[in-house]
Amino acid sequence: MILGLDAGSRTVTEAEHLLHDMVKVLGLPAGTVGCTHFVRTSTGVPHVACSLALLAPVSGIPETVGAALGDSRTGQDSGIPVGAALGDSRTGPDDLAEGAALAAAEHAAGAGGRLVLFPGHDGLNGTLTVAEVLAGSSIEQVVVLAQTEDPSPDTLVVTNDHVRPQWRDGRVILLTMPASGGRLMPAEVPNPTPCCVDHG
Amino acid sequence: MSPVVDMSVPDAELSPGQLSRRTMFRRAGLLGAGLTAAGVLGTAGEAAAATPQRVRHNTEPRDGYLWLAGDHHIHTQYSSDGMYKVSDHVKHANAYGLDWMVITDHGSVAHAKIGVDKVNPDIVAARKIVKDTLVFQGLEWNIPAAEHGTVFVAPGRNELATLKEFENSFDGSVKNATGSSPQNEALAIAGLNFLADAVKRRRVEAALFLANHPARKGLDTPHEIRAWRDTAPGIAVGMEGAPGHQAAGIAKPNGPGSGRGYYDNSPGADSWASYPPESYKTFGGFDWMTSTVGGLWDSLLAEGKSWWITANSDSHTVYGDTSDRGPGSDFNANGKYNDPIYKGSFNLTNGDFWPGYYSRTHVGAKGFSYTDVMDGIREGRVWVDHGGLISALVVRARQAGVGQRGVSLGDTLHVRKGAKVEVSIEITLANVPNWAQFIPTLARVDVIQGDVTGPAANKDVFTTPATKVVKSFEVGGNTGTVKLTYQVGAVDRPVYVRLRGTDGNRSAPGLLGASVDPNGPQIDVFGDADPWKDLWFYSNPIWIVPRG
Repeated sequence: MILGLDAGSRTVTEAEHLLHDMVKVLGLPAGTVGCTHFVRTSTGVPHVACSLALLAPVSGIPETVGAALGDSRTGQDSGIPVGAALGDSRTGPDDLAEGAALAAAEHAAGAGGRLVLFPGHDGLNGTLTVAEVLAGSSIEQVVVLAQTEDPSPDTLVVTNDHVRPQWRDGRVILLTMPASGGRLMPAEVPNPTPCCVDHG
Repeated sequence: MSPVVDMSVPDAELSPGQLSRRTMFRRAGLLGAGLTAAGVLGTAGEAAAATPQRVRHNTEPRDGYLWLAGDHHIHTQYSSDGMYKVSDHVKHANAYGLDWMVITDHGSVAHAKIGVDKVNPDIVAARKIVKDTLVFQGLEWNIPAAEHGTVFVAPGRNELATLKEFENSFDGSVKNATGSSPQNEALAIAGLNFLADAVKRRRVEAALFLANHPARKGLDTPHEIRAWRDTAPGIAVGMEGAPGHQAAGIAKPNGPGSGRGYYDNSPGADSWASYPPESYKTFGGFDWMTSTVGGLWDSLLAEGKSWWITANSDSHTVYGDTSDRGPGSDFNANGKYNDPIYKGSFNLTNGDFWPGYYSRTHVGAKGFSYTDVMDGIREGRVWVDHGGLISALVVRARQAGVGQRGVSLGDTLHVRKGAKVEVSIEITLANVPNWAQFIPTLARVDVIQGDVTGPAANKDVFTTPATKVVKSFEVGGNTGTVKLTYQVGAVDRPVYVRLRGTDGNRSAPGLLGASVDPNGPQIDVFGDADPWKDLWFYSNPIWIVPRG
């Protein structure tokens, strides 16, 4: 069963914080699959929702970010409302409940979404071979951008300690791109250049 | 140079209006040896003042035009992520051979309130100091709902007021309208209508808009690009074929070690979900929209509508420079950073080049004036190169074997149905070292041709099936001139032709397959892309349309 969550995050970084907080609040086991999803709801701006694959029923989904945990970053309840969707049930503001449902449905279908938490995630650090990535995690395929063939199993992948595979046609795919020395690296670069972040 | 004064154009080829003007010049004794190319028909005062200084760049017309190199994307200390004085950029650009440039500081609350006013006298002063580089005031517009774009106007009495009103009314950052939404998309259209109205009412003589780094974050959807173009076809004229920040991919520790062009982004909430992951990357230093043969740019050209490409520096902080942002600055209070200072060490994490150092947008202008440059851009008489790969490019499409002069880049050749058409290509190879001190070799020239199939039914389409590389010429030289002819053959349907050339160092089958593009640009290696070892030039298209 997939739990959808939506706090209206505008960035994947914010959404990832929500995921981590929720795993703690709900006491979910290691290896739980947690994803972010880009959602466009009938009202409101485009944003990022989350999903978590539940192995057992849960209770006590908090109604605001940080409500149950005490915000892990500020120690305070941010008061940002959270929408949730589980099966047919919806909680929270309509827009966020809708986003949560979209995220849960996308995850359930394996149609899209970006995996943040997944089995083997903790071991994807440093530089690994494609074979090690596939053997040590739930990633099922490594794909190289602009290349039709899959990379050979002994190709090195510089993980940058930041591996975010995605759902594609029900499978977990890691998109990579050429890096220096004939190696690969995930197509998603950690901390991309913050263009003009300090504009007023 | 106008065909009116270009005596290589016979009288018989002029329109009646042109012939009448030529006759007038003849009677006035203006035609002949004394008539130089440098803008007799440009703005009179400017041309007279500019001509004596124009001894270094492109003084000789080619194919009836002055090919003026420029850059429409440059940031100064009036950008929150910039640092240099206007004069720093203008003097460097001039030294590196640019004939025109546009100062484009970011739209922002501080810029709209303070910077837009303060930068103007700096630009006016630079125009007086450096007479043979035309300096436009522009803006890097935060396009509502989309990416950034260059907006600039012809200098004149209302230049500043028009730019200021535009920024305060339509900048996505100023108006808190950067997110993807129909309302914000409409605000962008309103902005373009404002510019069109300013031109129509002669508030400014001309205005242009070009989309910058269009595929970088997946924010410029195909339907938005089409809407901009169709709203203001004389103003919204194109996009960066190649982004700036070309030093950003130089490997650590000698460079930033990032993505070439700082294309290191992944999809975000506002990104268009249908763009493939490749669209966030550069290929041979060029944006995916342009580098993909049969891709987004070609899908626009296949509609038969103009949409041109450019190449710029996006210069904020220069690779290897020893200066630093002025200390004690208060950007928000002053709208600018204090003047830069000497830092005492080389900054190898900067990702940009000075304007003119690496990226050049070559515009065929009828004279050396602001409006001639803008006319040339609007008419698509534009080709671009990196690293001085070639020095000059003259392209003509014409009916074969009838002694016709034909038409240049950006233009449309009309022929009778079934007429045989050829494209003549004259390339002046590099001949001289570039700013990295080597003479680049042009390995190959590719001719890309596509069918013109009319307006797209789906405004979000980003491929076109019939466009492909139809001919490749092996060149393999770096001195002298090369003349190539591509035989289009008998033309029975509307087509367009554009050119691409490379140093041949990095090639791979194109994203739409080897049958479309057997030797296209390779995806750039993240963190290890030496921009000098992967050079390309691109031309804008010529259309060939049979009658009947």
